[in-house]
Amino acid sequence: MLRRLLLIAVFSLCGGARSFAQAPDSPAPQVPLESPPPPPEALGEEHSSPAPASLEQLDAVMALGESRGAVRLAPDDAGHRLQLAHALYRIGDIDAAMEECRLAIKLQPDDAKAHVQLGILLIAKQDWRAAASVLQEAIRLDPGMADAHYSLGSVHYSLGHLKAAVQSYRQALALQPYFPDARYRLALLLKLSKREGEAAQFMEEAALGGVPQAQFFLGNAYKSGQGVEKDLGKAVFWWAKAAEYGNQPSADLLGKLRRQALAPDQPERKRKEAYDAFVAYRRQLWEEFREYSPADDRETIGTRLLNEHRTDAAVATLLREGYALSEVAQSELARLYETGWDNILPRHERKILACFELTAADGFLPAKRTLARIYGKGIGVQQDLPRAKTLLKGLPKQEANELLAEIGSR
Amino acid sequence: MVISMSWSRFWRLFITNPLWQALAMGLLASLLAKGLWVAAPVTFAAFDWTFYDTWLRLRAPIATSELLVTVVRDPESEERFGPTLDRTVLAQVVTAVHEAGAVAIGIDHRLDHASPASLGGAASDTLFLEALQAAAPVVLVHDSETALQTGAAIQAHLQVSVQPDRVTRRIPIVSVIEGQEVPAFGALLYDRYRRQQPLPPVQPLISGRTSEEPFNPVGDGSLSALPTTTLSVIWEAIHHHDRRQLEERFSGKVVVILPNHLGPGPWLLPTGQSVTSMVPHLHLLNGLLTGNRIGVAGPWSAFGLTLLLASCIAWGLLRFEGSGGLVFAATALLGYLAITAAVLWSVHFVLPLALPVTAAGIVIIGTIAWTHLTAGPRMMLLEQDMLRVQQDAAAIREALTLRENRAEALEEDLEAARAAVTQSAAQREALTRDTVLLQVQMTEARAQEQAARQQLEMVERQLADLRVAGSDSRTLVDTELERLREECRALGITTQHPLMLSMFRDLKKAAASPLTVLLLGEPGTGKELFARAAHRLSPRTAQAFVAVNMAAISPELFESELFGHVKGSFTGAMADRRGYFELANRGTIFLDEIGDLRLDHQSKLLRVLQEKSFYRVGATAPTAVDVRIVAATNRDLQRGVSEGWFREDLYFRLKGFVFRLPPLRERTGDMAAVAESVLADIAQRMGRPCPRLSNDALRLLTAYQWPGNVRELRNVLERAVALTDGSILSRDAFSLDDTFGCGDTERSVASLPDAAGDRAVLECLRRHGFDMQATANILGWDRSTVTQRLKGLCFQALIESHGDLAKAALAIAGDASQVRTVELKLNEYYHHLLHVIEPFRSVNEAVAECKRRFKNLPERHFVSVDLLIRQHLPSSDGVLELE
Repeated sequence: MLRRLLLIAVFSLCGGARSFAQAPDSPAPQVPLESPPPPPEALGEEHSSPAPASLEQLDAVMALGESRGAVRLAPDDAGHRLQLAHALYRIGDIDAAMEECRLAIKLQPDDAKAHVQLGILLIAKQDWRAAASVLQEAIRLDPGMADAHYSLGSVHYSLGHLKAAVQSYRQALALQPYFPDARYRLALLLKLSKREGEAAQFMEEAALGGVPQAQFFLGNAYKSGQGVEKDLGKAVFWWAKAAEYGNQPSADLLGKLRRQALAPDQPERKRKEAYDAFVAYRRQLWEEFREYSPADDRETIGTRLLNEHRTDAAVATLLREGYALSEVAQSELARLYETGWDNILPRHERKILACFELTAADGFLPAKRTLARIYGKGIGVQQDLPRAKTLLKGLPKQEANELLAEIGSR
Repeated sequence: MVISMSWSRFWRLFITNPLWQALAMGLLASLLAKGLWVAAPVTFAAFDWTFYDTWLRLRAPIATSELLVTVVRDPESEERFGPTLDRTVLAQVVTAVHEAGAVAIGIDHRLDHASPASLGGAASDTLFLEALQAAAPVVLVHDSETALQTGAAIQAHLQVSVQPDRVTRRIPIVSVIEGQEVPAFGALLYDRYRRQQPLPPVQPLISGRTSEEPFNPVGDGSLSALPTTTLSVIWEAIHHHDRRQLEERFSGKVVVILPNHLGPGPWLLPTGQSVTSMVPHLHLLNGLLTGNRIGVAGPWSAFGLTLLLASCIAWGLLRFEGSGGLVFAATALLGYLAITAAVLWSVHFVLPLALPVTAAGIVIIGTIAWTHLTAGPRMMLLEQDMLRVQQDAAAIREALTLRENRAEALEEDLEAARAAVTQSAAQREALTRDTVLLQVQMTEARAQEQAARQQLEMVERQLADLRVAGSDSRTLVDTELERLREECRALGITTQHPLMLSMFRDLKKAAASPLTVLLLGEPGTGKELFARAAHRLSPRTAQAFVAVNMAAISPELFESELFGHVKGSFTGAMADRRGYFELANRGTIFLDEIGDLRLDHQSKLLRVLQEKSFYRVGATAPTAVDVRIVAATNRDLQRGVSEGWFREDLYFRLKGFVFRLPPLRERTGDMAAVAESVLADIAQRMGRPCPRLSNDALRLLTAYQWPGNVRELRNVLERAVALTDGSILSRDAFSLDDTFGCGDTERSVASLPDAAGDRAVLECLRRHGFDMQATANILGWDRSTVTQRLKGLCFQALIESHGDLAKAALAIAGDASQVRTVELKLNEYYHHLLHVIEPFRSVNEAVAECKRRFKNLPERHFVSVDLLIRQHLPSSDGVLELE
């Protein structure tokens, strides 16, 4: 499972060569996978879950059949041919898709979008020079196409033309100011050009625009102080954001930081540094809900939202705090796991269990205790006493005995 | 000229010294071998590294370092990540390795390209650079075209050095690429490792040098021979957060990440493996970490060893002729091969093989040829050497002769000094005696003075009486002188010279005494007349007067003549014969020219004077005689004593009454009377009327020096009388020798050398090859006497040859074979003379010094000495001329 998640994360980080890069304002069927919109169900999760591939493939096959029918009815319609090309691309037949694009361009030579689509297919084929030529032709036909500039920037970079790539991304942003992916790409290139300050600025804008990779790099920048003031709490904040979008490197970094905060063999300074980062992050979560303020030290924003019956954000915030080593939040989550929350949250919610599993694996004792209890009693899972006993190994003896007694009494 | 001489010396040194020859041959052979191998570099490289390549195959495999961890691609990772690794993956591996505690990280990766979109694009690149920044410094592969800039990476080259036989054995530690010094990948990682270790500081491997380091491969030299870790295993550990495993693998290690699959490459190793360039660098790194380095002799060291071996073999071949040399050469060659193998096996140092072996071969062939070629010239040089040695021996002989002469001269000086000491002692004694005598005489004189005063008073009184009587004292004195003149004339002595008359008066007194009378004076001064007068005035006048010219008696007949012989005492002694002494018994014997008597005869004469008896030759009984001795000589016997040619005891015995007869030139007042007497005698003998001298003629005769005294005057007058018809002899009648005119006194006293005696000595010297000692033995003389004779002869010869040394030497030697010896002696004598007179500016002083120095030189030879001094000292010296 973990391996699959890792592979998906790497794939998403490397960019979606298997889909067309489209401007956000582009109509369907373009799916901008460079910065995929976060699925609602992924919110509050440290690891994203992949969509069912079989359904997607079925849709693609269906769409291909429809497109072929449309082309058969109107063979000289360039738009239909472009749809067919997209459908072919979705099923992975890039050569056929390129053929359809060329036919569409032949039918309508001044169609800039057809050129852009062909350019993207050529990028997928890693024919950078041909892609650059086609995309430049598209820009000639329609200089206002931000996505053409964006794609051309990517092509320029692949050809090693860093300055030209920066220029293309700047052009795209000039044409389309709200273009977080272009900002992210531009930030990367500026970072490679050693212009850390400007890069951090664009990276933050992209991160705010919801680009998880930008959030990951911004977290890195805060961690190492590149272009921004060093702040490990903010780094945790942005890594957590990225992780919520399924960014595996960010999840890994958070896991590493948790282990650093909890591992007994780590130097005290490093442990404290890591732990303080999570505390700062939890404090920062209050700022997202400025209408609330903490009543006491033990109160967290998650518990406050729960108490306030904020069904939209309470569980997600509690999960964030749980991942951020909040014992209070985890205690509340343990209760919610057992009891559920009316119709809002079912009992034995897997996301909560996943939070316990992950933090317990990182060495968080409250999570271990909770998890031992869950496995010992078989709450929402199959009872697994050996595992429960294993989880109790790091706990204080008295507490472990009490827990064992509780499990045994059942 | 100088160059040719130095070249000749160099050639001589070279041809006679086998070491130089061996060195030259070694150098020539080394250069020739080098030149030969230039034409076949492939074979050369293969041959040169034969030992090394064989050793690599045969030796036990070297250890692999636990410090080196190589992460390689495996099929699973290729399946997972594709053939080209995304930099995102690489970044995560680098971060994990760094956090696991690796001390040095190297990646077989270049920053020459940006990641394409398919491999993560700029995001991957950024991640990778961030990872490098965190793990800095990380060693990457150098590429001149850098797409990504980062200060976190150190670039290293992956070059290898391929030798002409297409085998890779070495790696350049530093390579200059486009003007930039780039270190080798393996060496750089090793230096990074060393820098991290608390090891004692050592010279970094990379210190700007561009040398090539041979790598020591493990096993067959392939990548599989090194311990590796697969990327999949590492990836699993990373994603299982298996920190412990990662630390176990990487903590304190040098980690090399190979993100690309390394199959067979273009580089052929000595073990036969074909590998990519990274593999030799990994083996180099392993060798450095395990301390298994290989040393290689540099080009200069290789040439030096070649030169040494070749020279050694050449020396052996030259030193040991024939098969011995060949055995030596073979031993040296095999020894070198054994050393090469031993050094490689023991200390892993590769010595050159091809060049030394080739040079050795060349030198063996070349030396044999050279030995044959140089035999002739060497023989010639040997002959030249022999000739030179002979010349040296001759020169040494000459030097020996010179030293002998010098020693003789010094000996002479020493003897002279000793004589001077003796003389001074004698003089001191004589002075003491004289002082005592003078004191006595002074006392006597005072008494006589007193007596004389009394007599004077008495005479004055008588004078007063006589004045009265009218007579004066002057008449009485003139009367006395006149009486003496008359007495002299009666005895044949014509003089009115007061000194002569005074001497005659003393003779009259001495004649009564039996003491010996010694008459000194130049020839012709009337010594015999005085001797006869002494006889006539003595009581022995009735007895015989026997005059004997000692110079006229043959040395062999001396005893017989003087002492007589008995019958049969020698061949021809037919009857008894009385000698002169016996004839003069009771009378007077006049021994004329006593100064020319030989030393042995002097002793015999002395005996007669002392004993008043002698033995006739052949007689057994002595014969006693009563004889009055009157001796005469024209030589200075006092000097004869000091110079050793006259016995001192004889001199004192003869010195009873000594009369020094003045020469005629000092008796100018007697000239007229003597001339008149002589003229009268001549006229009487010639039966002519006695001629008279004109006043001019008389002045001329008076002014003349008369070296022959009265005898010469007689001759001159006889000639004048014979040539003059009238009764007056004018000035024109006389033809006197101008050289003996007024003032020329120097030559007038010169006497000619004793030519006969010197000739005999010279002949003897010639017969004995001018060997002084031998000649002295034969002559019964002292060696120094012979030397003095020869010296005198040499000076005389120099004068006669007008200063020509060679001619003079020839004249003395008589034979060309002895010219050289004589020339050396002559040269030595002459230079000794010059040395003696050098401090003097006056001829007289120089002559005096010579007379003082050369006391044993016969008097007659001082004429030559005098002339030589005059020739040597500057003629412009007016003072000298005047003197």
